[in-house]
Amino acid sequence: MENKRMAVNGEQKRSPRSQKIPLTDSNVQNMATLLSPRFKSAAAMAGWDEEALLLASLIVEDTPVRDSKHKKRSLLNSSSPSTNSSRIRRTWRTSRQPIPVILDLDAEETPKKESGRKKKEERAGVNNEGRKGGGGDGNESKEKNPGAPSSSSALPCIDKLRDELSCAICLEICFEPSTTPCGHSFCRKCLRSAADKCGKKCPKCRQLISNGRSCTVNTVLWNTIQLLFPQEIEAREAARSLNSRQQAQNLSPQTAFYANLRNTSIQASGGASSRNNSRKSVAVTSTTQEDEDAALARRLQREIVEQSPGTTRMRTRRGVPTSQDQDAALALRLQREEFIQTFRGSSQEQTIRLPSPSFARANLRAMASRAMNPRTRDRRR
Amino acid sequence: MMISGGGGKSSWSSSTSSWIPTTSVSASGKRIQREMVELNNDPPPDCSAGPKGDNLYHWIATIIGTPGTPYQGGIFFLDIKFPSDYPFKPPQVVFKTRIYHCNVDPDGLVSMGILKDDWSPALTITKVLREVRSIFTNPDHYNAVVPGIAHLYSGDRAKHDGIAAEWTVRFAK
Repeated sequence: MENKRMAVNGEQKRSPRSQKIPLTDSNVQNMATLLSPRFKSAAAMAGWDEEALLLASLIVEDTPVRDSKHKKRSLLNSSSPSTNSSRIRRTWRTSRQPIPVILDLDAEETPKKESGRKKKEERAGVNNEGRKGGGGDGNESKEKNPGAPSSSSALPCIDKLRDELSCAICLEICFEPSTTPCGHSFCRKCLRSAADKCGKKCPKCRQLISNGRSCTVNTVLWNTIQLLFPQEIEAREAARSLNSRQQAQNLSPQTAFYANLRNTSIQASGGASSRNNSRKSVAVTSTTQEDEDAALARRLQREIVEQSPGTTRMRTRRGVPTSQDQDAALALRLQREEFIQTFRGSSQEQTIRLPSPSFARANLRAMASRAMNPRTRDRRR
Repeated sequence: MMISGGGGKSSWSSSTSSWIPTTSVSASGKRIQREMVELNNDPPPDCSAGPKGDNLYHWIATIIGTPGTPYQGGIFFLDIKFPSDYPFKPPQVVFKTRIYHCNVDPDGLVSMGILKDDWSPALTITKVLREVRSIFTNPDHYNAVVPGIAHLYSGDRAKHDGIAAEWTVRFAK
């Protein structure tokens, strides 16, 4: 084993690209991922040459913990050609079981796993003692947890962890946890709603949260939660997507409509003048047909969509008469009633507020006001 | 035109509240359900609570008068109503059993900081019940809703306790 290694190392020094070829044993994976391209480029930026890198890798390969000390040492080694000390140390080390450490900037988890497993027993003991919700230290101990989804049911402290990692607002496992400056974590969505509705205080300790709006996800905690409770997170994600889809489809036709219209409004708002003309002509003919009304209402709603903060640019250029708002609101109401009729049928009669005569009257009124509206706008121009 | 426009506006605002289903309804329902499970698993001492009927947002709770207080031995029924945006707004807690207490108004409405401005979404009904139970032992006579009772409590404690015990015997047993 040792000889083979030396041979391999010699070859590596000559051509680091061919390092994979002679290796057939279990070390293949470790060696293959020993130097990731990203690491190489990072090292190149730091001004390390290939040899220095390889030397560094030789040292790091055998050490379970990588820290700045090794880097310093390898730098020193690269300046002086004699690498005897490191070789001696390596031979001494390889007599024991070599611990594979992948030298990859992407792989953050691996060294944690190593150290985490060793600490597992102590930590379990600590957790079993019943540490109750001490915000800061609780998070800390969890963040060190080994990312092992398979062991989630085997962990003795899983219930405690569940308690610790659940959001105090929705009482479920934190979904995209966001941590306040005072160290308490909640679902990002929950924290945002709390900041909106209950003021910018921490729900747990009532400390002031400077900016409740810009909640950032605590990545480490979120990753830990995803690793520990994959099923819960999956279920919640599924529920969320289902919920939003349902909402878009049938629960609130209005918002779905807005969503649809937002797409069309961009094209439609291009020809504003032509729309005004067509609107006028429709008003003149004054038909009471349902579909034409719907088209009108939709056209008016498009204007509301344009006025919504996302797409203000079209409207802010020209002054919008305030009556148009009210007009649009009326059209929206009409449209809503149409929706109620079409979606719920005539069985639920209590939801339909206007009987048909007044409904028709309202239609006419809306059309009359629309006919007046372009005129006032023209006058303004 | 102005009239029709005005009418449209008012109905628009009213329609948004009734028509658009808010996502928080299901979220609050879920949270209340979780609280119910939690409460069943680990009920606070001398307390019980649960939905009144099918409505998850309307609970009924009982608190047994703490021994050593004038309310000792009484069984007090409370009504708890959760708002639709529940964890973000406090529940309403009303004593259905008459009680002589400076923090409970004549209609039974419990007046406590955490049920008003000091509410936090991290509070649960378990904590609220504990808190209600604690005002049996320590009435908050500085923030009393019935000043007369608070005055008597701070001035003539024995008389206050006597009346409270009498009410307990009369209404809560």
